[in-house]
Amino acid sequence: MNSTIQSTNLSSGSSEGRRHARGRRSFWVYTAIAITFILLETFGSGVPVQIRAFANDIVGPVLSLLERPVRAVQGGLERLAGASDIYVENQKLRAENDLFRQWKEAALQLSRENERLRLILKAPKREILPAATARVIGVGGGTFERSVLVSAGSGDNVEPNFPVEDENGLIGRVLHVGYLTSRILLITDLNSRIPVRLERTGALAIAEGQNEAFLRLRFLPKEAEVKVGDRILTSGHGGLFPPDMPVARVSEIDGEFIYLQPLGLLGTLDYVRIMAYRAIPDEEKLLLDGQEADG
Amino acid sequence: MARKLSPLVSGGPVGLLPVSITVLFAIFMLLPIGSGVANVTMPNLVLISVFYWLSSRPLLMPYGACAGVGLALDFWLDVPLGLNMLILLMARLFVLGQLKHYKGRNRLLYWAVFSVMSFGLYAMSWLIMAAVSGQVWSVKPLFLQWLVTAFSYAPIAVFLGRVRRWMQ
Repeated sequence: MNSTIQSTNLSSGSSEGRRHARGRRSFWVYTAIAITFILLETFGSGVPVQIRAFANDIVGPVLSLLERPVRAVQGGLERLAGASDIYVENQKLRAENDLFRQWKEAALQLSRENERLRLILKAPKREILPAATARVIGVGGGTFERSVLVSAGSGDNVEPNFPVEDENGLIGRVLHVGYLTSRILLITDLNSRIPVRLERTGALAIAEGQNEAFLRLRFLPKEAEVKVGDRILTSGHGGLFPPDMPVARVSEIDGEFIYLQPLGLLGTLDYVRIMAYRAIPDEEKLLLDGQEADG
Repeated sequence: MARKLSPLVSGGPVGLLPVSITVLFAIFMLLPIGSGVANVTMPNLVLISVFYWLSSRPLLMPYGACAGVGLALDFWLDVPLGLNMLILLMARLFVLGQLKHYKGRNRLLYWAVFSVMSFGLYAMSWLIMAAVSGQVWSVKPLFLQWLVTAFSYAPIAVFLGRVRRWMQ
């Protein structure tokens, strides 16, 4: 009897030991794989962008499905919160509508005049057509990056580096493109640098993302005059963004530090417009052409 | 003699529940809730889930599952590959090493252990990111997310506790 118990204990003890040994082995194998991945990322030969885009395509439909009830609940709560102010809101909107009708007439008149003058001067058109209108279905980056996932990909003619805007202004550019989804690098990301100009004075500078809610204006000429409330537009330098897209407004000046509040509603992004604007010259195409010529 | 099956497989669909819930939490973390900009204010649901299941049913959350969920999260969050994988593997190593000291004791102790562990793992992820990108990242959003994650542990653990009771 005792010998049976002892042998059972021994066999359970040895199976426990085997399990521990297998666990330790698994830990070291998976840790080695993780460290290899990290080292590959560190030395710049990480996973091809296309694999990441494919991974997003897999999760995209699930996110689209889950995102709907979430938006519905958010919308319902907003409607409940706004129900009490509906009469005042209606009056305000009517007044604004009258004002906008007048502005629309003025804008149309100016647009026609602008068109005529461009025709006379033979100046090229500056109109940029949208490649797609997409919905934000996911966020990414955790605490380290500022990016969002949208429901439009190469199937909707979206290409890398296309600028993206919401109804108020520039929000970022396309980073990775899958077939169904694309990842947008937001202007607030630490890696985002946008050549900009001050609308009032035309002074050129760079708007830098800080991984915070605000941007920082850098490389502004020392003699440039800047005030809180000044609007910042894209300058078009570098060819990545078209000129004159609204980006941000100066929110705070603290000595040498000039902080900008993005005009795009980055906190409540829903629908965004991806603009079919290609960098001029198209650097990737030039590089490929060069490689082909060398080959 | 037939080889003993892993509890993850031998438990059937119920055995797969901890990993399935963790994957669902990973997808949920990507939803644009609240800020819609970045998941700074979104608690790290995956870390909470992994800690909870490792503390209560460690065999149902093996190293392979931790690595797989971490890898998926790296892809979906668009962070350097291997970062979340390593974090979840370290979480398992930590819990299995320390479980004997807090298993079956006060729930507040579980909460405290989770807070300490997650703080260490967030610090590690900051160091890895700094090394990979070669730049010093702002500590504020990371600290904020750790705080939100640490405070969210209790309600999410209550939810997972209900699931665990249903499994039994």
